[in-house]
Amino acid sequence: MSKTNTIQVNNLSKTFGKTKAVQNVSFDVEKGRIFGLLGPNGAGKTTTIRMINYIIPVDQGSITINDLPVSPKTQRLIGYMPEERGLYKKMKVGEQLIYLAQLKGLSIGDAKEKIRYWLGRFNALDWNQKVVGELSKGMSQKIQFIATIVHDPDIYIFDEPFSGLDPINSELLKEIIIELREKGKTILFSTHRMEQVEQMCDDICLFNNGKVVLTGNLRDIKKKFGKNTVLMEFQGDSSFLDQLKNVRINNRSTNFAEIRILDSQSPQDILKEAINHAEIHKFHLVEPSLNEIFISTVGEDNIKIQEEA
Amino acid sequence: MNWRQVFLVLKREYLTRVKSKGFIAATLLVPIGFIAIYGIGILVVVWESDVSYQIGIKDDTSQIVTALNEQSPEQYLNLSDISIDSLRTLVQTEEITGYVHITEENISKNIPLELIYSGSGGMTLLGTIRSDMRDVFRQEQLKRAEVSQEVRDIFATRIAMDSRRLSEDGEETDDDTAFLSGVGFVMGFIIFGAIFGYGGYIMRGVIEEKTNRIIEVITSSVKPIELLTGKMAGVGALAVTQIGIWLITVVGLAMLAAPILSTFMSAQSEDLAAAESMAAQADIPLLSNIPTIETSLIIYFVVFFLLGYLLYSSLFAAVGSAADSETDTQQLMLPIMAPIFIAYFILFQSSRNPESVISVVGSIIPFFSPIVMISRIAISDVPFWQIGLAIFLMIITFIGTMWLSAKIYKVGILSYGSSAGFKDLLKWIRQ
Repeated sequence: MSKTNTIQVNNLSKTFGKTKAVQNVSFDVEKGRIFGLLGPNGAGKTTTIRMINYIIPVDQGSITINDLPVSPKTQRLIGYMPEERGLYKKMKVGEQLIYLAQLKGLSIGDAKEKIRYWLGRFNALDWNQKVVGELSKGMSQKIQFIATIVHDPDIYIFDEPFSGLDPINSELLKEIIIELREKGKTILFSTHRMEQVEQMCDDICLFNNGKVVLTGNLRDIKKKFGKNTVLMEFQGDSSFLDQLKNVRINNRSTNFAEIRILDSQSPQDILKEAINHAEIHKFHLVEPSLNEIFISTVGEDNIKIQEEA
Repeated sequence: MNWRQVFLVLKREYLTRVKSKGFIAATLLVPIGFIAIYGIGILVVVWESDVSYQIGIKDDTSQIVTALNEQSPEQYLNLSDISIDSLRTLVQTEEITGYVHITEENISKNIPLELIYSGSGGMTLLGTIRSDMRDVFRQEQLKRAEVSQEVRDIFATRIAMDSRRLSEDGEETDDDTAFLSGVGFVMGFIIFGAIFGYGGYIMRGVIEEKTNRIIEVITSSVKPIELLTGKMAGVGALAVTQIGIWLITVVGLAMLAAPILSTFMSAQSEDLAAAESMAAQADIPLLSNIPTIETSLIIYFVVFFLLGYLLYSSLFAAVGSAADSETDTQQLMLPIMAPIFIAYFILFQSSRNPESVISVVGSIIPFFSPIVMISRIAISDVPFWQIGLAIFLMIITFIGTMWLSAKIYKVGILSYGSSAGFKDLLKWIRQ
């Protein structure tokens, strides 16, 4: 085994007709870590994930999972929850989970045992005989989680996992992800809402327009950017914010602002200016948010949102 | 291809369907519906021949009108005393359907008759009046020629003709052509219906997986070709189950009915002879003994049924994968529907005239063979090379359609949002 890499993506490209969905993408997902694939909609995340899952073929480059090229064999090492989720509506919960687990290579006995365990964990044992169409949205989302993890793989891939989840299930999924990492499993997930994942990811890969713009350890990346962002809470006239030079205001409301400090501007000057105009409740110098890192890496004008292929 | 995965898909497709209420209802209702459609069809034909009309007869000889009145007093009114002008008024005011003016010359010199009428009533009306007139005129002419009653009876007879088949090894058997022609048509029709029915099952199944959005979960475990194969095999097994149930029911009922029918027949064997001659007069084949369907025909039926199903089902799956909802399938369905319907039209020809050029050619063209060939096999002795060639061509074509469909299916199942057109399909095939 090479290092501790679980998923290695090497110089990957994929073209659909004339659209270059993915171009020369490379990144490594290390074992036992949470890896975030970030970028706006249409940046090529789903296409990359589908290739990792061996759902669509690779045009150029290579993907290896535990040093094996992607194949039906590597599919079984992965638990995948796609962005477009769904279940057979007319099938019973139990039958459906057994079917999906068997497709991942489990024997019928193992499948039943694991399904019992997870249904128990989610207080859902009495759903076993229910038809999926009768379940509420939240309930069927739980069944979807079970379907993803039931075969106890080493690698988990979630594509936009939090989109469409209700708050309770969002929390539940976060818990599951953290729990899986504690067990030494590898997790890769994608999202276009970067603020959502800052607390969870160990490593990230930023996508824009089919290309990787930044990849690495999230802590290191943030450190590299330095503490160049001010979080400020205040009361009073906020119009002074418009007068500030060499800053970018990312997040602004009546009594809050997130200010990115650009070249040759000092936080102290901003504070002085602020005191002159408003009552300052909080002035906090922090590392930039992921969103800010993305914008400053790509440049505001280069963020293209295109149709997801 | 991993056959374990294929089998898992097959099992799911089969079990979820076979246990569904829809399947049980269809198994019971389709034969009832089939009989009902034919019953209604026969009723419509019977009704149609029953036209109500009233024809005024102005007969200068008064002999014809008397005979007509004897034959059907309701339809022919003796209006000999009324002037032509009044008759015309009666027609115009729709008191009578029309009138015929008969003179001595019509009888003696065969001058054609003329019916003056409002123009409604159609072909059946004209045909009925014409045949009534012919009968009565012939009777009158025979009477005038002073022909004896014997000779008149001779004119009234219609000789019956029975047919028996002589096989190559000199065996003579009862000819069941009329019956077998019916069997051939029904078998062709069942295959026609089955291609649509089970093809539709597959198409809806594919669309369901797309709209449910489960397809991506499935394709992260199963290759598209495995999924497609499993689906086709699962629905195929379902088809065999359903047709099997129907076949066993029919055979079972026939076996139950045979002894009852034969005791009934022997008890009334004298009446039977009379009934037979009557049937012969009316050109209706009366089945004095129940004709048998050969086992080889049933085997051929199953073979052509399965090949026809396979040939078309993968295409239905491809259409389903390209569409985003069932209502979007119509444009793409056209190239599949066209050959099935052409085959259905050829079936009318082949079940009446199995050796005609169009029947023979149609039965060998792969997209038509399943429907056309089975009707030919049922009725006549089709040379084996033709059957063999048809089967061979169907297998080759099946491989082709499967290859094509697999390419479309692979891309189609993962394209959400909009339904694809023919242009997209071509692109997917080239990919």
